[in-house]
Amino acid sequence: MNRATPQMRYFAKRLMTYEAGENKFAGTKSPAVFHSCEKLRLHLATFMGHTGFHTLLARALALSTAEVPWLRAVRLKADGSLEGLEELQAQLDPDEFFEGGVVLLAQLLGLLVAFIGENLTLRLVREVWPKVPLNDFDFDNAGKNGDGGQNEYRGKNEYSGKYEKNR
Amino acid sequence: MNTEAKMNTAASMKKTDNPARFNLSKRGVTTPAKVTIRKLPTGVRGLDEILGGGVPEFSFNIIAGTPGCGKTTLAHQIVFANATVKKPALYFTVLGEPALKMLRYQQQYSFFDESKLGSAIRFVNLSDVVMKADLNAVLAEIIKQVTAVNPGIVVVDSFRTVVRKAVAGATEVDMQSFIQRLAQFLTSWEATTFLVGEYFPEEIRDNPVFTVADGLLWLSQLTERNSVVRKLQVFKLRGQASVPGLHTVRINGDGLQAFSRTLGLGSNNLNPLRKRRRLSVGIPELDKMMNGGLLEGDSLLVAGPSGTGKSALATQFIAEGLRRGETAIMALFEERPKQYTARAASLGLQLRTPQEKGKLELLYLRPLDLSVDEITQQILDAVKHLGAKRLVIDSLVGFEMALAPGFREDFRESLYRMIVALTSAGVTILTTVEVEDNFTALQFSNYAISFLTDDIIRLRYVEIDGQLRKVMVVIKMRGGNHSKDIREYVITDKGVVVILPQRMDYEGLITGIPHQTGPRPAQKDEPAPEPKAKK
Repeated sequence: MNRATPQMRYFAKRLMTYEAGENKFAGTKSPAVFHSCEKLRLHLATFMGHTGFHTLLARALALSTAEVPWLRAVRLKADGSLEGLEELQAQLDPDEFFEGGVVLLAQLLGLLVAFIGENLTLRLVREVWPKVPLNDFDFDNAGKNGDGGQNEYRGKNEYSGKYEKNR
Repeated sequence: MNTEAKMNTAASMKKTDNPARFNLSKRGVTTPAKVTIRKLPTGVRGLDEILGGGVPEFSFNIIAGTPGCGKTTLAHQIVFANATVKKPALYFTVLGEPALKMLRYQQQYSFFDESKLGSAIRFVNLSDVVMKADLNAVLAEIIKQVTAVNPGIVVVDSFRTVVRKAVAGATEVDMQSFIQRLAQFLTSWEATTFLVGEYFPEEIRDNPVFTVADGLLWLSQLTERNSVVRKLQVFKLRGQASVPGLHTVRINGDGLQAFSRTLGLGSNNLNPLRKRRRLSVGIPELDKMMNGGLLEGDSLLVAGPSGTGKSALATQFIAEGLRRGETAIMALFEERPKQYTARAASLGLQLRTPQEKGKLELLYLRPLDLSVDEITQQILDAVKHLGAKRLVIDSLVGFEMALAPGFREDFRESLYRMIVALTSAGVTILTTVEVEDNFTALQFSNYAISFLTDDIIRLRYVEIDGQLRKVMVVIKMRGGNHSKDIREYVITDKGVVVILPQRMDYEGLITGIPHQTGPRPAQKDEPAPEPKAKK
């Protein structure tokens, strides 16, 4: 089952855009999807254990590879962290790489929604990314304009720039 | 108090800034006040009363039982009822139910408040530490988290898993030491603790955790034929008096609900009667037979076979109370309220308006597999809510049929407790019971519950002049004398109407097949003396 619905992709893009902005600011080159998954891992492992998070991310990765075959090269360590993303980033087109990351994160968020519902998922995400404005996020309508949330995403890119300037 | 004692007292009082902390002994000497143990609400309806007011603060408790009894749900209810941002709850999960699934299921309950997650309630997974099978590491992790969060409530779910996994590499002394240190640490940090675990009763004797625990709540499931009955027992609770015995527990959308064996009547908050009046039952001739009416606060049993007018009589009793401005409850087990109301209307008795005005409540208690305590609790709630003065239970047969088989054994005991509690608080109860007419004896009830009632009226069929007629007799009235007459009655469009004085021309009326001993009184044979009630 594909959990990376347009709403989840839009949700994931918002978070990854924020992470990309953070990376740019910090001057780090590691992928936004890695940082996103790491932040979730550190937060969720307290609640569900490293093993619990590992199995959830493994499922998300398995679901993602149907759409993004190059994700098969990504390895999952015992503690639930991702390995091999940097090498892939160097080989792939940046947009393609970014979109692949969005799919993976969307699958992960989609699994969380399937298990604990939208409200609790949003609550968890807010705890991990307190600075990302999600109050206006609407699971029912987000990304329904057919572009997978691309327009909203562009809007949020502007936010990302503003955020950087303000810092 | 002598002068010296007064001076001592005054001097002692001066020494403290808080006089309330000192009590005066009989000799007039001040003694330090006993510690007041605050009791935490459980969030479980009925459980605080069973526990003697709630869970003692800072106590170290175990919630034990076999799988599926509701242990985790109970722990969650306690957590959600008490956790605040200032005094949060730490919920340690271990290898048992995965945390995601636990949240998935628990959020279905009404007590689940998602706004508390993360801030007031924090879930911490100990699985990785436990997998290392090191008790010291488990304790260290718990200490680390508790020290950081400073929680008011700590739950370890399942503690059994912690011990089972760790015990492989630990001696019994290690285990006792671990439990002792854990209990001491959590108490010192002012946390009220709940260890949740799957235990079996035979383990109580040897397991050190039960010795250390201040409180032990045991949940169980009993299977009786096709029904399952959940029970709760407070095995021990230090520092306060809990209600002993097995209490019924039900799990529904609100989580657990507990039904105390005492039905919460230990501290009866209904107002007892000071002076008892005679109440009309709405049938003037029957009032006369009862020496002016039913004594307020009595329990009256109306026994008779099907079709003898038990429900009609019960409705008249209620309608009369309503007419006099009293509020009333009718607990119905056979007919639905709509049908009951319509049938009452055909007897000229209006029940709809009083219901709309909040003067009357018709409780339809038909669902199967209920416990007797749940039903009595519903009735008690309604009586308290409405301040009802009259109560009808129609009928005991339906009441028993609504119960799960496992609860039927408790039927008489619970009924007794409810009737005694309500009547002593001034509620007058009329209960109907269907009995079969056998034609050799006058049976009062199939349930041998006659001892529960103050008064008994028996209705029965008799064969007279080639007709199947009805007679009634007041069998007993604890509150005084009553008529011994056997009176014929009919059911008209006005309800039950007693029509003739006692029959002197027949004997053996209570057998149902009397012998005519005197001349036949002047009486029309046709039409039958019982016009049908209007539809």
